[in-house]
Amino acid sequence: METPTSFQLQIYRSLPEVERADAIVNRITKAIALGMLKVGERLPTEAALSEMFGVAGATLREALADLREQGIVETRRGRSGGTFIVKQPSTPDGAMRAWFLATSIAEIRDIGDEHSAIAAAAARLACERAEAHDIERLQDLARGTALAPSPEVCARADSRFHIEVAVTAQSPRLTNAEIRLQAETGHLLWAPLATKFDPERAAAEHLALVRAIAEDRSSEAQQLALDHIRRNVHHLIDTKLTLGYAEEKQEGK
Amino acid sequence: MTPQPVEAADALSRWMNTVASDVTAFTGDVTELLARNLGGRDKVDQDSLLGLEQLSREFLAGHPFAVGAGAIFSSAVIEKQQGVLEWWSRTKPGVVEKLEFDLAPGGERFYDYEKLPFFTTAAATGQQTLWGPYLDYLGADDYILTHTNPFFVGGRFMGVAGCDIKVQELETAFMPILRSIPGDAAVVNASGRVIVGNSGKYLVGERVKPDSAGELRLDLNVPHLGLSLLCQK
Repeated sequence: METPTSFQLQIYRSLPEVERADAIVNRITKAIALGMLKVGERLPTEAALSEMFGVAGATLREALADLREQGIVETRRGRSGGTFIVKQPSTPDGAMRAWFLATSIAEIRDIGDEHSAIAAAAARLACERAEAHDIERLQDLARGTALAPSPEVCARADSRFHIEVAVTAQSPRLTNAEIRLQAETGHLLWAPLATKFDPERAAAEHLALVRAIAEDRSSEAQQLALDHIRRNVHHLIDTKLTLGYAEEKQEGK
Repeated sequence: MTPQPVEAADALSRWMNTVASDVTAFTGDVTELLARNLGGRDKVDQDSLLGLEQLSREFLAGHPFAVGAGAIFSSAVIEKQQGVLEWWSRTKPGVVEKLEFDLAPGGERFYDYEKLPFFTTAAATGQQTLWGPYLDYLGADDYILTHTNPFFVGGRFMGVAGCDIKVQELETAFMPILRSIPGDAAVVNASGRVIVGNSGKYLVGERVKPDSAGELRLDLNVPHLGLSLLCQK
């Protein structure tokens, strides 16, 4: 048999047993950070979770123990018991810093490439499918970043806006892709690590996009979405370079 | 004009009117239940909702095309500060579960149903209404249409009752009828968006541009829903 290409290797890549508990912790943490799961909510039963994640009970319990240790969930006994989300997790600066150092510029660009494809398609389809009610909702959400009191809230507002554009496009697949991309990079964009990202400008760009969608100007909407993502990617790269450069200087001392 | 489009419009109207009269009957049952449970009190609390689950489950059991059913209450008639959305959904074949919504104003995932068209239109007109197709993010998380009726107890608007229908279900129901029409045809909602089309020309969700000269629009004979059949002259 021929050696698989790097794309084919994606199919056959090993399923790391030891990292599965971490992956579960990661998924649940990201879902809470994005507002997909909220504080006070009860998680499905352990049996249901094991089945859905496709892991052994021991692996799932390991993940839940980790989440409990971090104070993110709490397990209560009794008839109305279960595992509840009790805290909004904040990705520690250290973890975000580590991401920037470990992720190459080529990878960041590639995330941007995928995000551009999704965001431009969502913007174009939203033009064709939006109704007046959708526009009102988008307008409310567009200003979210400018009104946010903290970087975490700002990141969530930003993510929510982009997810709702995909919702307006009425494509479950694009919406899923947007949710996944927001989970991957939404918090990193607003991380208070290097230069500050401007929430007012993001809100202004969101509003311009909503106007283009409202007036069914699809090529302009696509262009606005592309410019917006490009600026985000530049900011991620700037952050990486600033952090990387600072580290090098420290090492050279 | 060939007779097919007119016959098709009649068949589509019949299908939707059956849905409409079943939703109306369901709304009647909900109204009766509420009036009985309230017994003259003017605010809805947890006790007033007893029996609603049973009615919703029965509706879902009797109507395989519906994926969700229930009732939603106006904040003006609720005891608590928070909205009341009693909605059951067929999450898997044979499994019906209550949908959980974030009803706390200001919450991250706040589901502000009193601003959603299936609520506002029914409340404003006092008539049945159909909203969609829409992606019900933070609700059923599915691509659906919602058919609702307003309901009143003692002359007071209480909320809306009705059901969710998956776009796929309407596709299954409407496609044989639409396929009987020669040429491109589609069922279009009140705001001019495609619900089901019989070809790639009319894709679900898309607004139909009003300028096409060769097109013919037949209003479906279903009161208040604003549905029409679009076909070629």
